[in-house]
Amino acid sequence: MTPSLPDILVGNFMCMADPGPPEQQGEFMAGKVGLVALLSLLAAQEAERGVAARVEENALIRATLTEAAADYGLDVAGLPFTEEVTVSSLDRVNAALRTALIGLHEAVEARDDTVRHHAILRLYVRMADLRRLDLPPLPAR
Amino acid sequence: MSLAERLEAYLTRIWGQPVKVADLSRIPGGASRETYRFAAHVGGAVRPLILRRDPPGSLIETDRGLEYLALESFHDRVPAPRPVAMDVEGAELERPFFIMERIEGGTVVSPFTVMPYGAHARVVGEAFFDILGRIAGADPADLPLAKAAETPAPGDCWRIAVDHWAGVIEADEQHPQPIVRAAIRLLRRKPPPPPSAVRVVHGDYRGGNFLHAPDGRILAVLDWEMVHLGDPLEDLAWAIDPLWNPFDTTTVAAMIPRDEALTIWSKASGLAVDEAALAWWSLFAAVKGQAIWTSAAKEYRDGGFKEPILAVSGWYTARRHDQILAAAMLRLEDLS
Repeated sequence: MTPSLPDILVGNFMCMADPGPPEQQGEFMAGKVGLVALLSLLAAQEAERGVAARVEENALIRATLTEAAADYGLDVAGLPFTEEVTVSSLDRVNAALRTALIGLHEAVEARDDTVRHHAILRLYVRMADLRRLDLPPLPAR
Repeated sequence: MSLAERLEAYLTRIWGQPVKVADLSRIPGGASRETYRFAAHVGGAVRPLILRRDPPGSLIETDRGLEYLALESFHDRVPAPRPVAMDVEGAELERPFFIMERIEGGTVVSPFTVMPYGAHARVVGEAFFDILGRIAGADPADLPLAKAAETPAPGDCWRIAVDHWAGVIEADEQHPQPIVRAAIRLLRRKPPPPPSAVRVVHGDYRGGNFLHAPDGRILAVLDWEMVHLGDPLEDLAWAIDPLWNPFDTTTVAAMIPRDEALTIWSKASGLAVDEAALAWWSLFAAVKGQAIWTSAAKEYRDGGFKEPILAVSGWYTARRHDQILAAAMLRLEDLS
């Protein structure tokens, strides 16, 4: 999933390291600081939940693929697996699993396999919820 | 040469008299154009102006010529800035830009705040949906915009829109996105009925893209950069997308209840709201959003992670739209 947490944290450094020309100080810089502050707060949530979300999403997708493997001729055992719990290694596996899931869902729709179609739609809800970021209740300025 | 000096050189040339630029300052927000306010001192008068210049890389490829013509079309019909000058080659400013009059005395509020319009939510909401209705009610043939905007056949509006944004995802995606891809397939499987009329679509009509006064009056509708002709429900669906209202489920756009918003829009536009079509365009709105956020994530990476607005777009809003898309697909299948 891009941008990843390391991308965001590197970005927060990069965007503050260069002060920019005079016409980009004042209100524009204040806006930039506000965005960096918001990103830092969201990064805290991702630091707390991001790895667990990836581990669970990968397991859920793999289970869905495994359940459908016989009917749809899927080679689930050939998909990558990792025991590393770094964001980058989990994302590499996640990319392969998501690609396989897209292919399965297309095949499910082509066969009018309603039960699996609905199961995959419910999986999407769970995946989106696992990855959610919660905005802080900031007042309007 | 500084940006102020470049502006002075350009304006002096096109106005044929010496111009001095003062108080040049970049305004936050707006990921696809750099926006600056400045004052042009010319012939003993002071003209408050806004410069919109293309950045080195931009969030979405948009047509500044159409944006300029949209302002020319609507500045005397709805609250919108009057355009002043445009140069698509960049001239002295080196990148394409246009200049418009500055409207004073208002603020742009982020939709990602709690009660962004405070006690004026109703006043703002009634004006917001009335103005959108008036944009949808205008006959494009009567507008300067008609000189350049392509007019689709009513039955093609949905397909053109889906093809465009699905293509953006295809081009810019850096990580597989099964949720939005399922939504795109669903949109193609069950297209909406054609609109009763092809109308002007602002393209990004939402909270955060207008200026309002302290008493709640809307002073200017901004950011017309995605303007095109199409199904007017596209704008309505985008305006009421849950993304723009994170803290209040009783209203749309954090302004007024949904049924009131639709009634106001319908009265102002003279167009009926087909709920089935609006459900389709609502799913489309989240797909379009996800396409924009996909591009933002790519721009953020390609640009060396230096623009935090692209990070917020490519990260928070992308994940929120995945939630919205997943819930919408479940609803369309009558599941919960």
